[in-house]
Amino acid sequence: MPEPATGVALNTIEVRFTGGMLALNRLLMTLQNKRMPVAGFTLARDAEGMRATIMLDCPPESAQRYTALISALEDVSEAGPAETVEVAMIEASGDWRASAERSGIEAHESGGMVVASGDPEKMEGFLASLGDSVEDIVRLGPVARPDARGGV
Amino acid sequence: MENTAFNIEYKPRTGSEAMCEALLDEGVEYLFGYPGGAIMPFYDALPDYPLKHILTRHEQAAAHAADGYARATGRVGVCVATSGPGATNLVTGLATAQMDSVPLVAITGQVGRPAMGKDSFQETNVMGMTLPFTKHSFLVEDPDELYPTMRRAFEIARSGRPGPVLVDVPKDVQFAACNDNGYRRLREAPTPVESPGLERAAMLLRSAKRPLILAGHGVTLGGAEMELRLLAERTGIPVVTTLLGISAFPDDHPLYLGWPGMHGQASVNRAIDRSDLLFAVGMRFDDRITGAAHKFAPNAKIIHIDVDPSELGKVIKPTVGIAADAKAAMRSILGHLDDISEGEGCARWREELKESQEPERRRQESARDEYGPIQVMDAIKAAAGPDLRLVTDVGQHQMWAAQFFKFTKPNSHITSGGLGTMGFALPAAMGVAFAYPEDPVWVVAGDGGFQMNIQELATIRDFGLNIKVAVLNNGYLGMVRQWQQFFHNRRYSETPITGPDYEQLTAAYGLTGRTVREGDNVEAAVRWAQEQEGCTILDFHIDPEANVYPMIPSGMSVNEMIEEDGA
Repeated sequence: MPEPATGVALNTIEVRFTGGMLALNRLLMTLQNKRMPVAGFTLARDAEGMRATIMLDCPPESAQRYTALISALEDVSEAGPAETVEVAMIEASGDWRASAERSGIEAHESGGMVVASGDPEKMEGFLASLGDSVEDIVRLGPVARPDARGGV
Repeated sequence: MENTAFNIEYKPRTGSEAMCEALLDEGVEYLFGYPGGAIMPFYDALPDYPLKHILTRHEQAAAHAADGYARATGRVGVCVATSGPGATNLVTGLATAQMDSVPLVAITGQVGRPAMGKDSFQETNVMGMTLPFTKHSFLVEDPDELYPTMRRAFEIARSGRPGPVLVDVPKDVQFAACNDNGYRRLREAPTPVESPGLERAAMLLRSAKRPLILAGHGVTLGGAEMELRLLAERTGIPVVTTLLGISAFPDDHPLYLGWPGMHGQASVNRAIDRSDLLFAVGMRFDDRITGAAHKFAPNAKIIHIDVDPSELGKVIKPTVGIAADAKAAMRSILGHLDDISEGEGCARWREELKESQEPERRRQESARDEYGPIQVMDAIKAAAGPDLRLVTDVGQHQMWAAQFFKFTKPNSHITSGGLGTMGFALPAAMGVAFAYPEDPVWVVAGDGGFQMNIQELATIRDFGLNIKVAVLNNGYLGMVRQWQQFFHNRRYSETPITGPDYEQLTAAYGLTGRTVREGDNVEAAVRWAQEQEGCTILDFHIDPEANVYPMIPSGMSVNEMIEEDGA
């Protein structure tokens, strides 16, 4: 049985590897073989090789152990925790700009919606500060924060 | 041309030659394998190199033989097979090696590059097939990469936590001209730095009142037997081992208690249950050891040392987890314990444990008068002497051997622990016998497992290997039958099994053998076998319903242990 999902503790790790499809196949097989509680998997490619962002739904100690296991794969050059980001699309009235600034959340208005993004914990704070002014909300994430190297 | 000095024709070497050179450069002496279409160029080059190829009668046996060689020597074992069925036949052997962390390099031929992906004759995706149970695998499509890849395969196989590595080589790559593009060594496995964990472990060892050392295969793999002994003797802490850890610590040492787990000694299981500190080194808390993990060692703080960091906390959450090689870690801990010498702190605990073992010892003594497994094990030990190397198969006999033998020589007990591969023992013993031709090598097998690779008697005869075999023949797949007896109301579904007349069979193979029954002189039969030249098989007909005790049913704890018939 896979480790039971906690539903609350999403730990994101980023894995950089070379070796193309064979290496990807080995990584996927390892995730499956060790019954890692994968809640999300994103694959990208850049000049240095492939990059998988894996969200594990398990306590941090387990995520650490899984990271050690993935690090030991021969094709993997780097594996470690990745920063995550949460995105929310909100229909809100009131002064959401001041709340966003106080909470450390980036936010802008687009087509009548407030599009906010930032650290998941800060996002919780931001949404709480909006209180009853929130009319509707769509939350996305947490997902891995894209880094400067880009990716697909 | 006569004048060769001026007419040297520099012929680029072929892929096959590069493979052989890599094997030589790695110090390989023996290869175990079986040729076929896609690996023919390699076999064509082989006779030109001082490499000894052992032709087995099945590829699975080649993998197990390489495994046995690797376990016995600590060197990387090598097996070879062709594509398709040759490669698929290796699978069980690779999985066996992976589960027990045995360094192995498996070379497989593959169909030529133009034929790949077209369902060609004898094409199979052996890399895909073996991904879950190889440490790494390579498909070498560039001839220039062949030599460095072969060297890397060896390095990966033996570094860190050892394991099997597959190198799949298309036939045309073996034929192709290739240029060595150099070989860069991987970085050496880092030696553990002094960490607070090691110091904390030493502190816990000092203060524990009921401590135990639980040593696993990692001690043998890391060559840490001496450090284990030093640590035990300095602290006075009793030692228990896993099944694969047996022989990492001398059985006749006053600090040795035995081994725990599903069929381990009851007193050892109870000792773990009562201990306040478990120093677990080079082991992975296999479910056969822990039973119900949440009930395992409920009163103990756990120090867990393993070279593979992903093992720490996988099954049992340690109080102190140290990712390090067993030898280096124990050396460091010993450094923190310089000032103690006799471990007086747990003298009372040792006394208690000694007393707790008395009933078992008495039971074992009385069983020595009866015809059965214990008499066989005693006789083998007496006849073979202290240099005995014992290879067991999988099943009841494996547990009896582990329970009743006394192993005093390091790494003298070889068995398939993790995968539990029936058919392992006979070919694995071949690897052991090639590695140590002067040492007595005995196989103890059941009548089920022995028949799984029985064809290797021909290989054994060809090379005149001095392997002695004791078949504990109960006419059943004994361990499965025992489970059927306990948990399926004695419905012996498909467990009765017949076999050949082993005396006739051995004669057919040009070997010798005898049948031994109740009433026969076991000691004399074993002595006779030991004195014969070459391989001899003793077919011991034993009680069909003899059981292995104690037994902790799967997923249960020491409190649910079945200790004897009717218990």
